[in-house]
Amino acid sequence: MRRQTYFATPQTVPAKTWRIVDATDVSLGRLAVDVAQVLMGKHRPEYTPHVDCGDFVIVVNGSKVGLTGSKAEQNVKQRYTRFPGGLKEETYGSLRDRRPEKLIEDAVRRMLPKNRMGRHMLAKLKVYPGAEHPHQSQQPVAMTI
Amino acid sequence: MPRIRKGAARTQARKRILRAARGYYGSNHKSKYRAEDAVIRAGRYAFRDRRRLKRDMRRLWITRITAACRMRDCRYSQFINGLKMAGIKLNRKMLSQLAIEDPKAFDQVCASAVKHSRATAAKA
Repeated sequence: MRRQTYFATPQTVPAKTWRIVDATDVSLGRLAVDVAQVLMGKHRPEYTPHVDCGDFVIVVNGSKVGLTGSKAEQNVKQRYTRFPGGLKEETYGSLRDRRPEKLIEDAVRRMLPKNRMGRHMLAKLKVYPGAEHPHQSQQPVAMTI
Repeated sequence: MPRIRKGAARTQARKRILRAARGYYGSNHKSKYRAEDAVIRAGRYAFRDRRRLKRDMRRLWITRITAACRMRDCRYSQFINGLKMAGIKLNRKMLSQLAIEDPKAFDQVCASAVKHSRATAAKA
């Protein structure tokens, strides 16, 4: 066994696989934690902070993601259009109906590193509102939460 | 007292600084004043980070061991407690290397840790 701590390099990084997860009735935060871990590669012992060694993740049934308590009515996403008085607010519940991929991607993005690497990792996340996804040929492996 | 001009000594001093600042970003490797500052700062960071490296590496090993344990349905805290109870003296660096290079051996270490851990003992 080598005595020096192993570091993956972009050339030797373990082969990336595809995972698929069904978001039905899984609460948003719990889903995002596990997805973020896999995107970062922290689920494997070869994890190297400066090299992207995470897998791809497909989230299906995004529109059925769970929001516990009254978070669907109470929690709001805010954005600003840069016009005076242009503050837009939308509840998590309505965003989930309208654009679930935005809701889930946002939750995961905030759990990833805030740098170029984090944006690269987020690109490996594919969220779909329904049960269909166009990644059959990648042969995704089911992931349980 | 005769007046002394710096001449060669000044050139030497500038060269020494600029040589140490080779490859630095922007004007940090060109301007003597910027380079002086950057070299001093680099030394300070290097001193600090040689100490920090030991902590950072330990954190990395722990992250890796956690991942390896999770793959085997075990928690990090349970694993470490089990090792202690079982009297296994492997350190975190060895454990993380074992998890990468010899997963079968890590399987055994993990199994024995789970067996001896407090969580398992409480159940039995």
